[in-house]
Amino acid sequence: MPQMEVARPVPGPVPASSLWKFLRLHFEFARVGFVNTLAYRLRYYTGIVTYFIYVSVYYFIWKAIYEHSASIEGFDFAHLLTYIGVGWIIRSLYFNNIDQDLAYQVIEGRLAMDLIKPVNIQFMYVARAAGEAVFRLALLTVPTALILFLVYPLRLPASFGGFLTFLMSIGLSFLIVAAINFAVGTFALRLQSILGLLRAKFFLLELFSGLLLPMTFFPHIAQKILDFMPFQYISYIPMLIYLGKLHGIDLVRAMGIQVFWVVALMAIGDGLWRWSTGKLIIQGG
Amino acid sequence: MKRHWRLLARYFAQYAKVRLAYKADFIIAFFSSMAATVLGFGFVLVLFTKIPRLQDWSFDEVMFLYGFSLIPLGFFNVVSWNLYDFSELYIIEGRFDRVLLRPVSTLYQVVFEKFRLESLQEVVTGILVVGYCVRRMHLELGAMDFLWFAVTVICGAGIYLAVFLILTAVSFWFEDRVGIVPPVFNMLNFGRYPLTIYNVFIQFLLSWIIPFGFATFYPTTHFLGRTAFTLYFHLVPVVAAGFTLLAVVVWNRGVANYSSTGT
Repeated sequence: MPQMEVARPVPGPVPASSLWKFLRLHFEFARVGFVNTLAYRLRYYTGIVTYFIYVSVYYFIWKAIYEHSASIEGFDFAHLLTYIGVGWIIRSLYFNNIDQDLAYQVIEGRLAMDLIKPVNIQFMYVARAAGEAVFRLALLTVPTALILFLVYPLRLPASFGGFLTFLMSIGLSFLIVAAINFAVGTFALRLQSILGLLRAKFFLLELFSGLLLPMTFFPHIAQKILDFMPFQYISYIPMLIYLGKLHGIDLVRAMGIQVFWVVALMAIGDGLWRWSTGKLIIQGG
Repeated sequence: MKRHWRLLARYFAQYAKVRLAYKADFIIAFFSSMAATVLGFGFVLVLFTKIPRLQDWSFDEVMFLYGFSLIPLGFFNVVSWNLYDFSELYIIEGRFDRVLLRPVSTLYQVVFEKFRLESLQEVVTGILVVGYCVRRMHLELGAMDFLWFAVTVICGAGIYLAVFLILTAVSFWFEDRVGIVPPVFNMLNFGRYPLTIYNVFIQFLLSWIIPFGFATFYPTTHFLGRTAFTLYFHLVPVVAAGFTLLAVVVWNRGVANYSSTGT
């Protein structure tokens, strides 16, 4: 079993061959995620329509909001429309279903198959989700972006360099969402049903990630509290970068905190996974 | 009919026992449900700290609309649990065979086999929010209004159930989940805003294709004294009946088309 070495964290500097194996293995997981998604192609056609309807609905809601004011919290309507529209476009990329996948593994008793694999389960799920994300980029994100940019007066990124930074920031958003979903998904091992928990998490991310409205719209005290949470680093920060509202040291700091949250949340997910599998009863299987 | 009522009571009692056996589970589910209710409205709450009105709708009116929508939605959520996993649990795993063997309508069994008890929280929250708004706006409601309130709540729950039954019945033909249910589920939220803010296309969509407007917006216009929508308000029972009938027809055709996977 050559892959056994990957299972345990290697103390000291990682030998090059081990890192290579790690990457190759996780590339394989990503490929499986990509191919699995291929089977559900049909979903992505409905997905494009769905995202178009979402953005359209929010377009009208915001139009009604701006009826009485030209600028709210430093956003005029054109800026805000770009914020919302592009925010939904990138959501189609960083979004994943790791929590639901984990829940189904538990319900269907297939979790035992995950447990016998000599790999870090979290990395395996994240790699698979990354494969899915590549698939969605081609079949959902790009077509949705094309349609939305044609129909609505969305603004192009502030600068080319800014756009590249924005792409990097979305990559980190993806990892934050993946880590949160994995952590929430681990509760499926201990609870009878996590449907309610998933629903609460869904609304939590929608509101506090900045997808529905910029963080500056929140009352001051709420903003202060949310600063200490990972949620706004999912959508709000990448969108500020896209709009060219973050520069220099602020930009570096924001992306540094993104990296911090990726590491912290993955550590939490790892801890939760250990705690959940500590006492486990597999149903059937 | 009497037998069905008794059966419903038994189903409910049985399922309540099952749920309450896992107390920690139930408590977490309850608080998650509460959180979802509050966060779902968070967008509007935050927004109204920045703007005085949404078009010509005041904060109290929008809150009334949201509170009202929670009541039929709560009733719907109590019985809708089985619909989400229907194709996984009943079709692919073949549980539907068992349903077919019993001398009660298949629809009745699928809808009432599981209850999401914690969603009754939404009904209570909805009534409290509506009551609060009625006091704040000094709305004068007569006996007829209370009757209409009950009727439109039932119609609203019926519309929600009918829409999702139709979508669920699709899995009798296509085993693969097409992924229509989650987006429509999210569209529930769009029916919670005054429909007048949308353009004609979306108004049409939310009125006649996926008639969530008839479950929430049009009923509330009556209680808020917005007479421009009186005609639509009176159509609420008609639309509810029509879509319920459609759902039953589609469901029965789906059942006729069902062939067991043999697992």
